[in-house]
Order: sequence, then structure tokens, then C-alpha cells
Amino acid sequence: MKKPVIFSILILLFPFVLKSQIINKEPLSERITGYEIDARLDPVEKTITGIMEAFWVNKSSDIIPDIQMHLYMNAFRSSKTTFYRELRGFPGYKDSGFGWIDIKSFTGGAGTDLIPLIQYISPDDGNPEDRTVIKVSLPKVARPGDTVFIKVIFETKLPSRIIRTGYNDDFFFVAQWFPKFGVYEPAGMRYAIKGGWNCHQFHAESEFYSDHSVYDVKITVPKEYVVGSGGMLIDELDSDPEGKNKTLTYRAEDIVDFAWTAWPGYAVFTDQWKHVNITLLLPEERIEQVDRQFTAVKNALEYLTKNVGPFPWPHLTFVDPPAKGSGSGGMEYTTLFTSESADKIPDWRHLPEMVTVHEFGHAYFMGILASNEFEEPWMDEGMNSFWEARIMDHYYGENSGRIDHPMLKISDKSTDRMNYVRSEKRQLVSNNEYSWNYPDGAYGIMSYYKASTWLYTLMGIIGEETTNEIFREYYKKWAFKHPCGKDFINVVNEVVTKIHGDKFGPDMNWFFEQTLYGTGICDYKVAEIMNRKSEISQDNIRTGNVPDSSLSNPDSLFTAVARIERIGEVALPVDVLIHFSNGDEVLETWDGKNRFKDFNYHRSRKILWVKIDPEFRIRMDVNYINNSMTLDPDRIIVRRLTNNIITLMQFFISFFTF
Amino acid sequence: MKIIRALKSGALRALKVWKGVLIVWFCYLLLVSLVAIPMKGALKAGFGQSMITEMLRDGINVEVFSDLGAILTNLIAYFSSGLFLLLLFGILMNAFLTGGLFDSLKGISVKFSSAEFFRASARNFWSFLVITLLINIIILFLTVFIIGITAAITMQSYNDSGTTSFLAVIVAAIILLSVIIILILVADYARAWQVAKEKPACFKALGFGSNRTFRTFLSSFPMMLMLISVQVLFAWLVLKILGSWKPLTTGGVFLLFLMSQFLFFIRILLKTWRYGSVTSLKEKNDLLTDAQGSSNI
Repeated sequence: MKKPVIFSILILLFPFVLKSQIINKEPLSERITGYEIDARLDPVEKTITGIMEAFWVNKSSDIIPDIQMHLYMNAFRSSKTTFYRELRGFPGYKDSGFGWIDIKSFTGGAGTDLIPLIQYISPDDGNPEDRTVIKVSLPKVARPGDTVFIKVIFETKLPSRIIRTGYNDDFFFVAQWFPKFGVYEPAGMRYAIKGGWNCHQFHAESEFYSDHSVYDVKITVPKEYVVGSGGMLIDELDSDPEGKNKTLTYRAEDIVDFAWTAWPGYAVFTDQWKHVNITLLLPEERIEQVDRQFTAVKNALEYLTKNVGPFPWPHLTFVDPPAKGSGSGGMEYTTLFTSESADKIPDWRHLPEMVTVHEFGHAYFMGILASNEFEEPWMDEGMNSFWEARIMDHYYGENSGRIDHPMLKISDKSTDRMNYVRSEKRQLVSNNEYSWNYPDGAYGIMSYYKASTWLYTLMGIIGEETTNEIFREYYKKWAFKHPCGKDFINVVNEVVTKIHGDKFGPDMNWFFEQTLYGTGICDYKVAEIMNRKSEISQDNIRTGNVPDSSLSNPDSLFTAVARIERIGEVALPVDVLIHFSNGDEVLETWDGKNRFKDFNYHRSRKILWVKIDPEFRIRMDVNYINNSMTLDPDRIIVRRLTNNIITLMQFFISFFTF
Repeated sequence: MKIIRALKSGALRALKVWKGVLIVWFCYLLLVSLVAIPMKGALKAGFGQSMITEMLRDGINVEVFSDLGAILTNLIAYFSSGLFLLLLFGILMNAFLTGGLFDSLKGISVKFSSAEFFRASARNFWSFLVITLLINIIILFLTVFIIGITAAITMQSYNDSGTTSFLAVIVAAIILLSVIIILILVADYARAWQVAKEKPACFKALGFGSNRTFRTFLSSFPMMLMLISVQVLFAWLVLKILGSWKPLTTGGVFLLFLMSQFLFFIRILLKTWRYGSVTSLKEKNDLLTDAQGSSNI
């Protein structure tokens, strides 16, 4: 009898321990869930055995009969899982290749065995072979305000093919490794009409959705292993008298996931940016990249703090995995993220910087602003790609955010736009799909590139400072909550109206209907320039539509027309710059609603050239070439290019013909 | 000293046949123009009356090229197939013209004659073609082989930190470059031998080339290494010039064209210097062998 009583007391104290403040002065989130995990890595068997105590608080006004949890690692259990079916791959033939999580024991707060009440469910596709989500019926329903305690003993086997998580030889990246609560959404939250669990299966092309939690995690590993995690290191002790193993205690507060890595080959570096202690783990061979990596992450911290909101944690760890762990590269777990690089990366190629900036950015877009990546991937990847491009182009050059070679420069924002506009799948579906519903290959194009491109377009229309203000407001309103697309749009409408009044209409919904929810493309074209000599009509003289100079020289009066055409379905307001032969320039604005628009002038000079969107603000426009027209095309560039092609070809043949 | 003398003699011989170099340069220009001029037309059509070319003033802008869409896809296809055809025709043309060049470089100075240049080109065409093709095939085979081994080592060392892969790539590159230099030396000796003979005998020539390369390796290899290094440095210089010179006027572009063609002329002259130096070294070694043969009698 005594044991359950002690257990119950401990369980009751557990949330207080978890809710206590160690890292930040005040809790950043509601902390609906909390986890205390004691984990031990077996580097031979490639397993982690863990004892987890966790809680979930029913913050809704619903009476909830069950809980739902993710068992993500089961995605690697066989080729029949939803993950592998979608991936059209298989985890290999050997047992060592598979990954899984086995529940050894699952008890409730009073020590009740809940294993008989566990049911595997597949809410997304009904795949009976998929065991990545469980529903656990509660012996006693959870009433509003109730806290559900669980204690789970589990064993996780890591897969050998690292896809975000797994092992290779002595390298371990341990993510999606413990049973994790889904998110209970009461009616009115995001798109929920009635209360229910939002707990999706593990998909090939999707990321995650979780509540902000507190994690107290003990990790026991062989002593030679270097460990990095999303938590703050609290304690490090020998875990056995022989001193073969060590136990590291980590604490993480208000983050949405806890992952860690262990590898004996890591070199550890530390740096500081204002209140943030930054730790970098990378292979010895890449020590020369340490400065590049720290600079990149500090740039991102500075830019996002200024333009979005503060980074609230005092610790941040990032990892540049070695070649053998490259499958874990480019992933984010809020206060831990992985970059991507190679042993020799020239300075002009900003790949490590770009990945670092991008993955760090996720600390904001899904870490702090914890959107549902399963259902609205654009809110995470799209927004983050947009900010990544802005940061890269700001710090590494307007035209050289990605590549800065004397012979070739590529900006980051160009890469996003090119990926979107040149994709054949750009119109297959809208940008508002569940991540796993995108047709083959369209997930990346839509959720990263299209979203980033239309966010740039939005910025082009409303201005940079208004855009920053939107994101500041979005942060203020939705930090440590679960915003959805309509919440972001509401913030946009509110801020744009506050700053610009009704300049863009009563709201900006017209923009989102076309870009986020629509499948159309945006393409403007200068269709024609017409200059006809005309006589001055009395009407023109009467209406004053005649420059004074032309009155004295009526022979030189022209009826000049610039015809603009909207080829694409997306109608956005654009600027049109019209240049006359005497150097005069007129900047017109067109709402873009009709298919054609003629700009007519009666002047003493001809129109020489016309440029639509001369500042390239409408980055969704799929073809910039037809955005301008001149009567006197500049052929010098083509000639220069041809000359270079001729010379390069000559050298090429001469080289191969020795 | 032997190397210096051969290099000096090679340079003088190359300068002596500048008219031959001019013929080679002109043929290259003609050949490449067959592909480049239609490309220019396609580019002009692609950009039409657009002012987007303003964005290309400072150099290549991938975003602008990407907006060419289907035209760019066609251009790339045309460029790739054009380059392949150029390479094929280039090999044929080179086999023809190097016959004339090597012939003009041999022996003590006789005045360059275009008629003799073309006669020698025609006479040596088939044997030069076989030599070129065989050496190319060997280079191709060895390249694939060495890259294959390197890839295997790199994949094997996937679990290492990365140093092994890096070392493997460096070692493979050094081996490959050395092998290429040796094979070019074989080809040059073979061609120098061939023009000295009346009858075409390409296999005998290759046999001679191999024999002479390895018999005189200590002098031939460093000389070839120097000559190839100069050519590589020169190519790098040309790339730098072309990359940084961005004229914005018609006159400037014309000047760039003249400069580019002059640089390519120099490139052929450097190649001819190589031919001349190898020919000179061969002839000096021939004399030495003959002298040794007479003293043995």
C-alpha cells in the first residue's frame, strides 16, 4: 500500500517541480504539459531506455475522456508505416535499420496500469500498420482544470538511416524519441469547431505540433560522448563507480520539443550574444567554420530580436553534424538546432550560414509562435524562409546572400522566387494544404518558396516597416500560443489598417485570397508602346491635357499609349513607370484588376520605355522579362555575353583537344 | 639546362610559325561561331524589347536567366548538344591542324609556308586523329577509374570524420593530373615522331611516344609540368579578365572581343610552344641517341 501512496505524493509534487522557475524568471507559456525523463543511451544496441513522468492539464472547459500521444519513432518500424509509404522507401532489411518505441509500462497518477486502455489510432489515413499515435482512455475523465499524470517506461530503438533522427556508428541524433502528448484544441481554438485532440501521425513531409512544455531530462551516456541538447546543463555526474558513464541533467522551459545528440567526435565552442549563451558542437575538421557559424547565429538573433521580438531563453545550442550524421542536419528543436555544412566550404558559399539562420529562425516560427506544422506548414517554413532571406541578404549583401563569388552572386530571396516561379507544380494546389496532402514535390515549393515569395510581395505592397510591425504585433499577440493562418491575417489587417488606413481597402483579405488560398499566378506584361503623331484637338486644349510647349509646336504632338496587360490570375496593385524621349518620367499606379490598362498621354515627346513594378516589389510576378519594354533595346549585354560564350567555348575545345 | 634549352627553342619555333597559329585561331573562331551566333539570336529573341538586360550589366543574374523559362531550357539543350558537336568537330579539326603545326615546328628553321602547312595537315590527319582519340579514350578511362576509386574510398570512409575523404580527393586529383600530363607527353612525342617520318604509323608513333616519355622522364615530365602550369595560369588569368571586364558600350564590347581573341591566340601560341619544346627535346635526344649509336660502332 505504501508504494502507491508515495508515488501519488511524488506525482502531486511533480508539476510543482516542473513549474518551478530555473531558467526564466516567469513562465513564458501556460505549460499545459511537462516531462521528466530519465534516459540511458546504449550505444551498442542503439537504444534509449527511459522512465518518463509527464502531465497534461485540461485547460479547456471540456470533459475529456482520453489522452492522445505521439509515438513518432514507430514511423521507422516497417515499410508499411505511413511515413515510409509516403516516402516510398523502406528502412532496410536488417533489424538494426529499424526504429521503434516500445511501451514497457504505462501507468496513471494512482499507479493504475493503463496499458489495456491503449489503442493505436491513425487519424490521418486510417493506416492500421501505422503505430505513431495512441489514444489512452482515462480511467477517470479529465474535468476542466484536472491534471492527468502518467508514468511511462519505454525503450526506443533508433533507426540506422538518419532522417532527422537516428544513429550512424557512434553518432546519435535523438529526436522524436519519447511518448509525447498531442495538443488538445477546445472549440474556437484555431479552426476547431468542437473540442478534440490534434494529434497527427508521423508523415514523410511534415513537421510537428506541440504544447510548450517544461523538460527535466537526465541523460546517461558513456563518458567519452559529448552531448548537446535543447536544455540547459544543470548537472553532470559520474553515473557509476567505475566512471565509465556519466549522467547529464538538463532543464528546458517553454519549448515544444526536446532532442539531443551524442557523439565522441564533437568539438565544443561557446560564445555569447547579449543574454544568450551559445554553444556550438561541430566536428574537429570544421573548426575553421566556428566564426562563420557564430556570426550567422548572432546575425539572426539580432535581426529577429529587432524586427520580430526578443529571444527569451538564455541558452541556445546548435550542432553542425559530421558527414556520417548529415541526415540530422537542417532541423530545429527551438533551443537546439542543427546546421549543415561540409569540411571545406569556401567563404563565398553561404550554405552553413544560410542553414544556421534558417534553423535558428524556427525558434520563432513554430518555437515561440507554435503554429501547427502538420496543417499549416507555410506558417512555419514559409515565414521562416522569408526571414531567412531577409537576414541573409541584409548581412551578406543584397545580391549575395546565398553566393558571393566575384563571378557569380545569388541573393537568398532570388533562390526562393526562382524555386517557386520555375516550378511546374506552382499551381497544383493552394498554399493552404495539410503538409502531407501536397502532391509529390509540391510541399517544399509551396510551404517554403511560394509562401516566402508572397510574403515578400506583401512587403513590397505595404512596405518594410509595416511588415516588421505586423510581425512584432504577431509576436506580441501569439507568442507561446498556437496561432493559425487566420490569426496571422487578422494581425495583418489590423496593423495595415492602423498604419495605412483604407489605402489598400478595408482589409488585406483580397491579397491572401489570391496568394495563400488561391492557385493563380501573377504575371504582368507591357503589351505595347504606341506613339502616334496627332493634331491638337480643341478638347485637349480645353481640358489642358497639352503641355504648353506643344502649343507653340503643334506638329510635334504625340498620342502616346502604354498598354499594360495582366496575364496571370492574381491581380495586385502595381507601379508603372513611363519614360518619355525628353527624359520626363511618370509613375502611375494600376490596381491590376482588369486584364488591360492603357495609359494615354498627349505630349510633345514619345514614350521611350515602360517598366511595370520598377522596384521589383511584386516578387510573385513569374516573369520579370516582360515587365518592361523599350523602343531602343540595349543589345550590348547580349553581345558581351556572346563574346564570353565564344571565348569560353574556344578554351573548352582547345583544352580537350590538347 | 636541357629543359631550359628545349623551352627556349620551343618558344622560338612557336614564334616562327605564328602564321600557322593564326590559321588555327581562325578555324577555332569559325567553328565556335557556328554554335554561338544562333545562341546570340536566341538570347536576343528571349529578351526581346525588355529592359531586364540592365540587371545583367554587373554580371550574370540567375534570376533574370531563370525568367527566360522555356527559352532558357532550349538554350541549355542547344548549348549542351552544341558543345558536344563542337568537341567532336574540334577533335577532327585539331587532328588536322596540329599535323601542320608539328610539321612546321620540326627541324631547323625553314620559312613557314601555308601550302606546306596544309599539305602536312592532310598527310598526318589520320595518324594524328588515331593518336588523339586513343589518348582521349585512355584519359577518359583513367579518369572514370580514378574517380570511381575515390568515390569508393569516400563512401567507405563515410563513418570517418571527413579527413580521409578529403585526402582521397586530393591524392586522386594529383594522380589524375600527373597521369594526364604523362599522356599528353606521350601524345606530343608521338606526333613529333610522326611528322619526322614519311609514312603514317600511328601505333609506332605511340610506341615511340611512350618509350621516349619514360626514357627521358626526368627531363620531359618537369618540362611538361612547367608548360602545363603556364597554360593553366594563363587560363585562370583569362577567366579573371573576362569575369571582371564588363564593358557597357558597343566600342567596349568590340574591344573585349578583340582582347578575348588575342588571348585565345596567345593560348594557341602557348600550346604551340609546348609542341615546339617537345619537338626540340625529342630532336636533341635523337641526336644524343644517334651519337651514342655511332660511338658504340
